[in-house]
Amino acid sequence: MIGNQLHISLYRYNPEEDKFPYMKKYKIDKPKKDIMVLDLLNLLKEEDQSISYRRSCREGVCGSDGMNINGKNGLACITPISSVIKKNKIELRPLPGLPVIRDLVVDMTEFYNQYEKIKPFLQNETTAPEQERLQSPEERDKLDGLYECILCACCSTSCPSFWWNPDKFVGPAALLQAYRFLADSRDLKTQERLESLSDPFSVYRCHGIMNCVNVCPKGLNPNKAIGEIKSMLHKNKKDIIVSDGV
Amino acid sequence: MKGSIIWNAQRYSSILILIYLIYILSFIVSNDEINFFSWSNFFLSFKVRFLTSIVFIMIVMHAFIGLWTVGTDYLTHRTLGFLNKSLSRRANLLRNTYFFIFVSLGLVYLISILYIIWL
Repeated sequence: MIGNQLHISLYRYNPEEDKFPYMKKYKIDKPKKDIMVLDLLNLLKEEDQSISYRRSCREGVCGSDGMNINGKNGLACITPISSVIKKNKIELRPLPGLPVIRDLVVDMTEFYNQYEKIKPFLQNETTAPEQERLQSPEERDKLDGLYECILCACCSTSCPSFWWNPDKFVGPAALLQAYRFLADSRDLKTQERLESLSDPFSVYRCHGIMNCVNVCPKGLNPNKAIGEIKSMLHKNKKDIIVSDGV
Repeated sequence: MKGSIIWNAQRYSSILILIYLIYILSFIVSNDEINFFSWSNFFLSFKVRFLTSIVFIMIVMHAFIGLWTVGTDYLTHRTLGFLNKSLSRRANLLRNTYFFIFVSLGLVYLISILYIIWL
């Protein structure tokens, strides 16, 4: 029967009851077809109602169920168990580096604070046209690979620089979004955005270890975006002001 | 200080150190016999002494940036908190002590090098 059972090791922590977190072992019969990690959690929850985790859309769009699956961050809803299972074992932990609220639920305040810091909205004080601010197809193409981020935090919480300095280093997710607005032809606050990122921590704590690229469930490349921001920061002030006026 | 200045300083200093190493290696390779006199004569030239001084200033600066990065990553309230709460409370003291030690060692190293080269 061992070959027909799944061994699940689940991170458990309820601050109201537990002094320390611990790993709880579960065994369930191996499902006949390949299911997602989220489905597996749902099966466990039928057995043990006290298990806590976030989920919403169950199709990789909302980014709620980011977690550490067998040592690698990912979205439980779009990760088939066949792709992560090792010797019939699966280990599920919360996203690393963030404070745990309960079981797999983490406090994402630090992550959202960094997102807020980069001002993730278009800033353009010129008179708005009647319908919309237009872009050429080439200008629009620059946003591909940037706007698709769903803020699941898989990348930022796999980044050691974000673990050590979550209050100072902006992190790959928010930096990807920072570049999304820096690259947008309709945004006119390039100089101010770059100024806010020019300190030694916000961008330059990225040492390019590519963990963010390795784990992004949407296949995005925050490391490339960070490289682009560094290039912009290295340009002289005059260049930046000229590009602002375009 | 701007992050780009620190970033550039670390990279350009490493390029300069590499060029210096190639220069020294080319001297060693191009001379059949290296002895005390040829080595002393080589270092008597103002050009070599000046370049050596600049390179060692770069080495100390390069090391300072690297060690400062390590200190501000691993000797913080948060990171030490993963190990021990009492260590975490002393994070600022530990980090400042660490900075003081490597800055002092760096200065002693630099002064010794400049003394050996020029006096």
